[in-house]
Amino acid sequence: MATIRIPTPLRPYTGNNASVSADGGTVGAALSNLTEQYPDLRQHLFEGDDLRSFVNIYLNQEDVRYLDGADTEISENDTLMIIPSIAGGRLI
Amino acid sequence: MLKLTKEIHNQIKAHGAASYPYEGCGLLLGRAENGDNIVTEIRPMENVWPNEAEKPIRFSIDPQAWQQAELDAMLNGLDVIGIFHSHPDDVPVASPRDLAWASWPGYSYLITQVLKREPTYSQSWQLAEDRSGFIEEEILEI
Repeated sequence: MATIRIPTPLRPYTGNNASVSADGGTVGAALSNLTEQYPDLRQHLFEGDDLRSFVNIYLNQEDVRYLDGADTEISENDTLMIIPSIAGGRLI
Repeated sequence: MLKLTKEIHNQIKAHGAASYPYEGCGLLLGRAENGDNIVTEIRPMENVWPNEAEKPIRFSIDPQAWQQAELDAMLNGLDVIGIFHSHPDDVPVASPRDLAWASWPGYSYLITQVLKREPTYSQSWQLAEDRSGFIEEEILEI
């Protein structure tokens, strides 16, 4: 089971747990397992079948987009972190 | 509600002034408690918006730097509870761009107005649960 670290505003959807364990041999499988355990979390991570555009998944210190994305293999000692991309600005 | 000390608020204002005419940005660290976000530290972040000419009206935070900030905060028993940024020469109201590129409800989005390099006042916002807009939240200096 890999460990997934949950961002502060999403913890109400994981029973206020900062870290949860998830089954799965790949990043995609672990995220699926996470949202099966906590269905209300899904809307905040996914839009349809895809991760929301601002959601980044880090395996240890690496953005999985630069690995094999959802197919990136993970082991039980790995930690996944969910990190948002934030941008903004004062004009349209 | 967003709770922070006057000293931390002044640090945020100073960062906005130092970043002028660009938008300055950073993370609010502390804890979420009973619906309030309580700031105990800030972590200024580089505005990495890729177009230099647009930095007076745009900001972005590098996710890799954010990850490191999360790890550092965790070691200190703190959480990332929000984002601060400045609006140079404009009102501190969450804009359509802030909305389009927002992340999750629950984070505080503290915006500080900086007029001709002088910080004036701040307003704080939270994304609505349905992501339809920002809702202003009270700022309490403690």
